[in-house]
Amino acid sequence: MFRANQLGRSRRGIFCAAVFSLLLFVASEACPHASLPASTLAEDLDGKPVDAFALSHGRVVVLLFVRTDCPISNRYAPRLQKLSEKYRGKADFWLVYPDREQTALQIRAHLEDFHYSIPALRDTRHALVRRAEAMITPEAAVFDSSGRLLYHGRIDNWYEDVGRSRARATTHELEDAISAALLGQTVTPDHAAAVGCYISDLK
Amino acid sequence: MKRATEGRVLISPWVTVLTVTCWLLVAALGSAQEAKPTQQKPQTVTFARDIAPIVFRSCSSCHHAGEAGPFPLVTYGDVKSHARQIADVTRKRLMPPWLPSTDGPKFAEDAHLSGHDIAILEKWVDAGMPEGNPAEAPPAPKFASGWQLGQPDLVLRAQTPFTIPASGSDVYWNFIFRSPVNLSRFVKAIEIHPGDKRLVHHANLLVDRTQSARRQEKSPGSGFAGMELQIESESFDPDGHFLFWKPGSPPIVEPPGFALRLDPENDLVLNAHLQPSGKPESVEPAIGIYFTDEAATRFPVLLQIENDRALDIRAGESNFIVTDEFTLPESVQLLALYPHAHYLCREMRATARFPDGTEKTLIHIPRWDLNWQAVFRLAKPEPLPRGTTVVMNYRYDNSSGNIANPNNPPQRVTAGNRAVDEMAHLWLQVLPDVQPAGQRDPRMVLQEALARHHIENNPADFEAHYNLAAMLEARGASEESVQQYQAALALRPGDATVENALGAALLSSGQIPEAVKHLYAATVARPGYFDAHYNLGIALANAREFARAAQEFTEAARLKPEDSGAEANLGAALAELGENQKAIAHFRRALQLDPQNKLARENLDALQQTP
Repeated sequence: MFRANQLGRSRRGIFCAAVFSLLLFVASEACPHASLPASTLAEDLDGKPVDAFALSHGRVVVLLFVRTDCPISNRYAPRLQKLSEKYRGKADFWLVYPDREQTALQIRAHLEDFHYSIPALRDTRHALVRRAEAMITPEAAVFDSSGRLLYHGRIDNWYEDVGRSRARATTHELEDAISAALLGQTVTPDHAAAVGCYISDLK
Repeated sequence: MKRATEGRVLISPWVTVLTVTCWLLVAALGSAQEAKPTQQKPQTVTFARDIAPIVFRSCSSCHHAGEAGPFPLVTYGDVKSHARQIADVTRKRLMPPWLPSTDGPKFAEDAHLSGHDIAILEKWVDAGMPEGNPAEAPPAPKFASGWQLGQPDLVLRAQTPFTIPASGSDVYWNFIFRSPVNLSRFVKAIEIHPGDKRLVHHANLLVDRTQSARRQEKSPGSGFAGMELQIESESFDPDGHFLFWKPGSPPIVEPPGFALRLDPENDLVLNAHLQPSGKPESVEPAIGIYFTDEAATRFPVLLQIENDRALDIRAGESNFIVTDEFTLPESVQLLALYPHAHYLCREMRATARFPDGTEKTLIHIPRWDLNWQAVFRLAKPEPLPRGTTVVMNYRYDNSSGNIANPNNPPQRVTAGNRAVDEMAHLWLQVLPDVQPAGQRDPRMVLQEALARHHIENNPADFEAHYNLAAMLEARGASEESVQQYQAALALRPGDATVENALGAALLSSGQIPEAVKHLYAATVARPGYFDAHYNLGIALANAREFARAAQEFTEAARLKPEDSGAEANLGAALAELGENQKAIAHFRRALQLDPQNKLARENLDALQQTP
């Protein structure tokens, strides 16, 4: 299994124990089940367990963390949908809903309202949140064909802060990361802070 | 035989005054509630004792069901599930949205959060967000759903909803509410329901006294796009009210005497700033109107200080300053301020320099954000004695370092109405001190001085020339009025409104052939222009061209069949042509429309006495 610190990312690890000593803030919030083994199981909208990585068969995996009630997350819907269409067949896109309170029914309505055709997962145990080191909705994570986390963070620089946005984004971190992943390259920097709603507020 | 086509009775030119973007809203003189910092407690910070009072006071009014906030913040559970977010956005002063710094006067809806409150919120998050003893919490605020001021006397709904696309830049849309009243009424309050409040950043409601905005609609009732509105209002009737909606602001009831007059021909135009949500959304605003029997006795006035001509910001310029100074020719009470700029503005300040040389900040916005622009009403009126100079100072950043810059890469930017253009406007709502009887209306004195000031700043200021002309005409300074209309016409050759006004002014000063020329030009420039046909009819009658005059009055009467003046004048022209039977019919029709029509009565009597 991939360990983050082997890529020179020593300040971040996928195991909560490692995170705990270095980043108290993440550990206390994002790893409430520190004793459980790391898993990438989430569930689909019928409640069936799904492992997005097992299903990818070596394709690039893109996780998009969203919420039904996060306005910034919602404003990104058209561009996320468009991006998924552009890379259809090359990369597997998943919408990941980390809010335990948002039901499959609400999520189905949300997909319909926002014209999403990207498959959705409920990540109620935050397994994918941990795997992607996600902190915010909306936030993206890009994994290469071997399931290594290449990039996680903002989609682009449209928002500088809550309520403070550019007319148009001028950098496109997610798309750059997908292109790199498809070419088998690494991504630098591998993280850019996202702007939106804190996943750690979800309990 | 006396003919109405001679003499004063006929001369009732229809004159219009242009104002660019008026923002109206109710001046309240109520006092603001001072937010008291929560007492520091040695114990653990809890929701019930420490957090609930802050949230209920500063967040819940927007963050509850049906309001603009994207999620509710009313219960412990609500607040806990956004706790880190709340600590973060309050620390950065992104929330609650409130632009003015504390160096100016106190404002009525001051939403500024104290440093102490912000620290308490942070402490609570660090402590793990304990609830504490619920019994210690203040009662959760209760919010009425629907109309906040009760069932309105009149509810207006947009004729055509507007659909915001799923994505793209912000949208500015104008909805017209057509002639809401069928007799003149006084309005004490207007409650604006802008539609889905999550989608509307702010909205301004304007009174359009001459239905001039209708000309911008592609089809009647369709509404029209545009960030800034130019409407025409009838001869000098300054609408001294801001009617403004922003999230969380309660509707305001005018203090006694401050009512707004609505006449049957008036339209209301709602200018709304809308933001795409990620899916197509339909916006369907409604407006609730509350009447009063009490006529207006206090007349505030809106003064627009601006220096748009100075706006020429080269690409990359990060510190561009625009200033303007206006010295008040009358003593006034300052009631409210509405600063207005677009996306490049970084900071603005307005200062009063008093006649004794002392200065006072009127408003300072250290971090301008178009999205949270608002009308700022003073908690207590600020006296500005005659001779006080109001100084405005705006700073712009047209570099790529300004994330709000609509151009990437930056482009040269000048003044204009589009979102990519800039503005440097400061509106003041002032109440002139009561004048001794016989003095000129202080509102006119203020507006005339302001128009002259604008022309000094910018000799090419069309609106200033036009408005000055209208005011001069109103006080009988015909010669200078004609000059000012001519200056306006030179700036917009062929403009129907100016051609008509200039023609009417020439008519008043007896320059008939010149008047005919300009009024005719107005009818050509805008077919269906009632005022122009009516005035042209009068000018032709003065030139004793009664056949042509009758044609113009016929056209005027066709355009506005309810206008008794057109009918009476048509009758008079026909009588001049010897068509007495036809003339009688039109005089009778005029008297049906308005039994008080003196012109029709006198002419009818005269005709019927003629053998």
